Amino acid sequence: MPVDQPLAANPFEEHDDIDEAALAAVLRIVPLGAAMLAGSAVALLVLGYLAIYLFVFLPRGVVG
Amino acid sequence: MSEGLHRTHEGRVLGTELLWAFGVGVLVTATLSMIVFTALTRDINPPSNVERVDPKTLHLSGEFAEQNLGTVVADGTVTARIIATQFMFAPHCIALPQGRPVTLRFASPDVIHGILITGTNVNTMVVPGYVAQVLTEFTRGGELLMPCHEYCGLGHSEMWANVQVLSAAEFKPDRDGRVTCAQR
Repeated sequence: MPVDQPLAANPFEEHDDIDEAALAAVLRIVPLGAAMLAGSAVALLVLGYLAIYLFVFLPRGVVG
Repeated sequence: MSEGLHRTHEGRVLGTELLWAFGVGVLVTATLSMIVFTALTRDINPPSNVERVDPKTLHLSGEFAEQNLGTVVADGTVTARIIATQFMFAPHCIALPQGRPVTLRFASPDVIHGILITGTNVNTMVVPGYVAQVLTEFTRGGELLMPCHEYCGLGHSEMWANVQVLSAAEFKPDRDGRVTCAQR
């Protein structure tokens, strides 16, 4: 877009060269990808915590 | 981007975020439930004894006078009294039984110390003016190390004691009910 051209009042009315169908396809899978990435990271963390709690902390005996 | 596509995308993101929040809620609830369950069924809790003691007269009279230190069996109850001071534990070796409930009582006459017994969940601070008490049961026998884990001065790294966890055959109280470390 030329620099000296004024911006449209509504950003949705701005013209760009992006293919709407391709954009829609990408946006459909972006939340799924983010959820998979964050889910894998949290799952690893929780599995590590559970392993230490069940196989290290509990066998070490009672304390109070 | 068209306005319609933008709205559809926002809706999808909101749906994912709500699902994520629900999943995290389930995880947090499950973790807390597990901690509460083991605390109630296996009696695993942070040591939380609050008991005052005068640090100025600790070694002169009362429970932590020199003749009362170490392990004693009275009425079938095993209690070990230990003083943590710059830069040693008194006594330096503590004999305790395996597979029997024991009460560990610590006091400090000078600064804040901390103890842990390696390979067990025994871990507490020893604050002057208070008796730190830990109730536990040793599941394995052998020689364990008990270092000071709270920086207490220049000799902190030299401050440690031995804990000898003895089997029922080795853990023999004398006539006064006292048990000292076995010579090995």
